[in-house]
Amino acid sequence: MLYREAGQFKTSYSADQAIFPILQDRLFVIALIVLAFLAPVALAAAAPGLAQYLFTEILIPFLVFSLAAVGLNILVGYCGQVSLGTGGFMAVGAYAAYNLWLRVPLVNDLIIVFLFGGLMAAAVGILFGLPSLRIKGFYLAVATLAAQFFLDWIVARVKWLTNYSSSGSVAVGNLTVLGIPIDTPMARYLVILAVVVVLTLVAKNLVRGHIGRSWMAIRDMDIAAEIIGFRPLRTKLLAFAVSSFYVGVAGAMYGFLRLGAWEPLAFDINRSFAILFMVIIGGLGSILGSFLGAAFIVLTPIMLNQLPGWLGLHMSTALISHLEFMIFGVMIVFFLIVEPHGLARLWAIAKEKLRLWPFPH
Amino acid sequence: MARAAHATGEVLLSLENISLRFGGVKALTDISFDIRKGEIRAIIGPNGAGKSSMLNCINGFYHPQEGRITYKGVTRRQMRPHQAAEQGIARTFQNIALFKGMSTLDNIMTGRNLRMKTGLLAQALHWGPAQREENEHRAFVERIIDFLEIQHIRKVPVGRLPYGLQKRVELGRALAAEPELLLLDEPMAGMNLEEKQDMCRFVLDVNDQFGTTICLIEHDMGVVMDISDRVVVLDYGKKIGDGTPDEVKASPDVIAAYLGTSH
Repeated sequence: MLYREAGQFKTSYSADQAIFPILQDRLFVIALIVLAFLAPVALAAAAPGLAQYLFTEILIPFLVFSLAAVGLNILVGYCGQVSLGTGGFMAVGAYAAYNLWLRVPLVNDLIIVFLFGGLMAAAVGILFGLPSLRIKGFYLAVATLAAQFFLDWIVARVKWLTNYSSSGSVAVGNLTVLGIPIDTPMARYLVILAVVVVLTLVAKNLVRGHIGRSWMAIRDMDIAAEIIGFRPLRTKLLAFAVSSFYVGVAGAMYGFLRLGAWEPLAFDINRSFAILFMVIIGGLGSILGSFLGAAFIVLTPIMLNQLPGWLGLHMSTALISHLEFMIFGVMIVFFLIVEPHGLARLWAIAKEKLRLWPFPH
Repeated sequence: MARAAHATGEVLLSLENISLRFGGVKALTDISFDIRKGEIRAIIGPNGAGKSSMLNCINGFYHPQEGRITYKGVTRRQMRPHQAAEQGIARTFQNIALFKGMSTLDNIMTGRNLRMKTGLLAQALHWGPAQREENEHRAFVERIIDFLEIQHIRKVPVGRLPYGLQKRVELGRALAAEPELLLLDEPMAGMNLEEKQDMCRFVLDVNDQFGTTICLIEHDMGVVMDISDRVVVLDYGKKIGDGTPDEVKASPDVIAAYLGTSH
């Protein structure tokens, strides 16, 4: 590694249980967050056209899907309950937020609107989490798939939810946070970044404490967990609630700040699969992995799409998009064969090796 | 018997006429025995005798169709396993039931789960009460880690540990609950001589230092006869012997069950 951790002794349990026990890691993460807030602002001033593309096409989707992946990772990676209903829970978050924003003009602050979206998604998540006490594994995946289709159907059929718009699409505008109008891509990015940073910290705190241990105990051996005193139903439902809250907030942010106007199709089954892939490729049971997985799934297609242009090759758009699918698919399979535990494990192995480098032991 | 000196003689758990059936299979038939406070009580018997079923009845995982279980003076028929845990019954398993993806430290911390009360919001902030609670329990768990001499594997995921150490971590997780009654299901199975001696030492030390009542299942007769105060012998779901190791060793029924009889 570029640094040595030798000489950093811990004198308290708090220091030993810190998220980043090594000083350099801590500084690096703080620097990264500061950079994430400041660098795009500087870029927006210097090159507005490029910045707009960067915000709308890359950074905002990346952050929103990272948050959804963190949420799903809590459920699948930490608590071991497979879910294919992520798209449905995102839709609940988005439409609940939309209806609060639309119908209660007094409450138009985005933070409150997003919180409401998250809480409603959590409530629906608990409801669809109830079967998890009885069914496990693939069967639970099928049950949550039912949630996906049911929630899709509800938002398409119950016209009240989409304010009786004929096409089922809804639109939002004049958004504010604490009275500040959120009308530029940069402002949207900063709001999302702030929410993601706070919720990621909360997720990390949950999984490293008592609650996280209860989830992992249920995941690793549910019978033993029950015998040493964990309540399986309560633990699983809490995981469903927290996970759906994250996914719901992500859904609301995706609708309000990325799309601006959307229809139920934005949260279909493909969305559920994409986020599940992020979690699996990034690394089950890892917060960092959720971000790596989201980066992989969001960025790789964009890169593959741009690659022929950069190399000076002339191809038809159809060919490019077909190639994109094929190469992307091969890459997913390749990653899963090389490291089934995901990008987070690759990163951990690399770090372990670099720690000793240049010595073999 | 010097070993029985600290056993008070007061009955902690008594089982009366326990019968357990799975469909047509009679796992346990009309079994009665008791466990006294502070003693080490062994359950032995050939394979399939119903020893593990007996432990599962005691900690509420199986519900016997007939019979009464009285624990600390309270009689019960039906209970959920977590209720047994709340009342101070902890156990280890024949096939190690650790949480493989978690570190040794986290596994033992799960043993403290019933004592950790801070709610979701405090946990989310990991500040103030939540952190204080975490540190208090960490300090307790560190004492267990010292006691079991597993400091070096504190942060290692238990899935990577050798068998003998996993057994020790599992004992640690049970001890973290500060149980009054500790059920050990074959704690020495599959261990080499040295590991067995270590484990015997830990079992005796737990009994001595913490005054924990222990009920264990074990196949190694040398171990059973050495460390237990009283032994109950099961065969085909029936009790065929009960008493001190010396009494049990001399019982013709027990000898017949283990060695066979001549007709």
